Amino acid sequence: MPSSLPPPGSPVLRITGVNHYFGTGETRTQVLFNNTLEVMPGELVIMSGPSGSGKTTILTLIGGLRKLQEGQIEVWDGDRGDYRKLLGTPEPELVHVRRLIGFIFQRHNLFDSLTAMQNIRMAQRLRDNERDPDADARELLQYLILGDLDIQGKPQKVRFYHKPAQLSGGQRQRVAVARALVNRPKLVLADEPTAALDANTGLAVVTLLQNLARTRSDEELAKLVRPDEEAGEAARLAPWQIPLLRSLARETGTTSLIVTHDARIMNLADRIVHMERGRIESNVVVAERIFVRDGLRQSAAFAAILPDEQQKIADELLIGVHPDLPVRPDQVAAHPGRVEVYEPGQDIVKVGDPVNEHSKFYLIRRGTVEVWRAPEGGALRKVAELGPGRYFGEVALLMDKPRNATVRAIDRVEVYTVDRLEFDRYKTTSRPFINRILENFSTKGEVPG
Amino acid sequence: MPRPPAVPLAWSNLAHDRVRFALFTAGIGFAVVLMGVQLGIMNAMLDSNTVLLQRMNADLVLVSPTRKSLLFREGVNRRRAEQALEVDGVSSIEPLYVDYQLGMLRHTSANPGERTQTRRIRVVGVDPDAKLLNLPGVTADDWERLRVPGTALYDRKSRKHPDQVNHPGESVFGKLADGVQTELAGRDITLVGNGFDMGFDFGTDGTLIVSDRTYGAWIRAPYAAPGSDPLAEIDLVAVRLRPGTDRDGVQHRLQAIYSSGGDVDVLTVPEMVAREKWFWWSNTPIGFAFGAGVVLGFVVGLVICYQILSSDIADHVTEYATLKAIGYPNRYLSLIVLQESLILAGAGFVPGLLVILGTYAILTDITGLAMELTLGRAGLVLLLTVTMCGASAWLAVGKVKKVDPADVF
Repeated sequence: MPSSLPPPGSPVLRITGVNHYFGTGETRTQVLFNNTLEVMPGELVIMSGPSGSGKTTILTLIGGLRKLQEGQIEVWDGDRGDYRKLLGTPEPELVHVRRLIGFIFQRHNLFDSLTAMQNIRMAQRLRDNERDPDADARELLQYLILGDLDIQGKPQKVRFYHKPAQLSGGQRQRVAVARALVNRPKLVLADEPTAALDANTGLAVVTLLQNLARTRSDEELAKLVRPDEEAGEAARLAPWQIPLLRSLARETGTTSLIVTHDARIMNLADRIVHMERGRIESNVVVAERIFVRDGLRQSAAFAAILPDEQQKIADELLIGVHPDLPVRPDQVAAHPGRVEVYEPGQDIVKVGDPVNEHSKFYLIRRGTVEVWRAPEGGALRKVAELGPGRYFGEVALLMDKPRNATVRAIDRVEVYTVDRLEFDRYKTTSRPFINRILENFSTKGEVPG
Repeated sequence: MPRPPAVPLAWSNLAHDRVRFALFTAGIGFAVVLMGVQLGIMNAMLDSNTVLLQRMNADLVLVSPTRKSLLFREGVNRRRAEQALEVDGVSSIEPLYVDYQLGMLRHTSANPGERTQTRRIRVVGVDPDAKLLNLPGVTADDWERLRVPGTALYDRKSRKHPDQVNHPGESVFGKLADGVQTELAGRDITLVGNGFDMGFDFGTDGTLIVSDRTYGAWIRAPYAAPGSDPLAEIDLVAVRLRPGTDRDGVQHRLQAIYSSGGDVDVLTVPEMVAREKWFWWSNTPIGFAFGAGVVLGFVVGLVICYQILSSDIADHVTEYATLKAIGYPNRYLSLIVLQESLILAGAGFVPGLLVILGTYAILTDITGLAMELTLGRAGLVLLLTVTMCGASAWLAVGKVKKVDPADVF
């Protein structure tokens, strides 16, 4: 039976070299330029960028709403257990791709002649679902505060059978969100989904998207449930929403691509894709960014410089892959000089290796290394094991001396690397501090280099 | 878990705004009435020329091939007609004489000053014993009284006097009643009985039924050669078959007998009716005039329906785009438009049919033309309505197919 999610380590969405043009003949204008992106299952991806930067165009191409002109977009089709390639795909197949996706539009686009339940049923008619359709739709609407309880837990009018004209703008938008999510799509494309929502209902929507991505702990959710007076300006969930949330998000792995300027959502992102003038200018996995920045900060050489500069160095190492996931050869090749992979038993540096322009500073991304050092005149002996987030190779670069230790991969090891040229550039920014560090190293010699 | 039941989107879209839906229905209903009334008048006019034929009690009819309409004078020679008796299965033949040209009926008023002009009347001659015509209201006693030469049964539905205020219940021939005396073709005639219902047609303002003897003496004899049989030429020969006889078989055998001469056609009554209607349809402007009326109604309805569907699509363009975006194919959207057109057809047809019935009653009362809405004719109007709305849906589907799902973002 095909899996609803791609194999471990494989993306749910892969965009490769996508160009797009509007108009024909002399008025033909290129609006997307060689865009490449991978999105992993369960990620909450925020797409940012100024108006006209191509965010919406790329969203419509992913959703199969426009014909792909150049490049390739692959969307995981859980129904058949394979990727759907969108280039050259005929309309009937694009229709099937659209059914794999939950769309949340900036405008609700509900049929004014249909009730909230009927609007949702229009989506339910498109896919088989293990749940009771009516009960599921009601549960979704109840969670989104359109049922008989308000955020305070007080009784309110049920709006399941209201037509859009009888609903406020925010209520309509919540019905539209329910329509998009009722089939539990593995990919959600959303354009400003919370623009029409107040803080509490916006939080309810985002929390639902988060929980459809992966199950959050009780502690995490408990932080969102707080009394009104305690919440103040901040948003909150009602206690009665939590069991509904758990029930609604029984299946996880949903990926959401959200175009938004809502800071409340941006702070929750797993990946932030920034576009400028039709290009993906940055593709940052938030966890990787934190991992690299915190890893570098352990090194005195980097700790000594300003936080903004630290972040710049960190950002230049990023490859857009969550540190929990192994890198693939193609990802390594796509970011030359940023990550190296070593097999078990392979030496990464050796004692006595001279320091030259090819020497590097290393931050362990995955796997474990062992450090071997020889006391003066003695044989090599293992002095330490280092795991993810630890670094090595700094001292030799700082002191411009041959390596003082051998570092060997115990298992498959992935390391971020900063080459000597880059390292030296930052070394010069805080020379006095580093000199003091060097004195420390020369007396203690704890860090392998 | 099965998918939920379908959402009645087409119906909801149309019925959501009740005032608009009532206007939509009125628009389509107007086209239905237009088509129905035009068809009604056309059929009534064609029917009026065939009432006599439809009242004949005959299994088969012998008629001259050149007599494409009853208006013409060509008949079947009596001796040729009697050859039919030689065919196995034929029980009897009965002559029916009909004249449109010579039967001039004087106004019935006894006071010459009140008489209007003498008018042409259709005169039908039959054997009073033959029971050849099915005329409800005409009793056996009436037929018996018809045996007396110079008597006639009269048509209560003769064309009405145009001034019904001063001449209530009178026909253009004056008062028609039992015992009234007047002149037919210049000779005295007395009306007997309570009359029958037949109605006027294109050629005459009413009908008199006389015995074959009266017919021969009053209509034919003045123009017949001395010593000849004035009734030698029969206008229509009614052939009656023995019970249980295969009518088609006899018809084929009769056709075989008469084929060599080429002077007799053997038809069933429905075939005679069809031939008569076809003559009037093809040789007069009736077909074109009322056919054009029906086409006009069809086109008006088509335009109205197209406008309704187009405005619905324009009003819901983002919703339709959304349906496409979430995975509905063009086929589904086209089906919605088609469903809407069929709902409009049904919603317009029902009230339209009621208006047609009312209009028929009023027109029948005013004109005297018998306008009948048979099941078949109602079915034809329904078929035209459905085709009209279906065609407009076919035109409108192009618009919904052009809806761009990318517009929703």
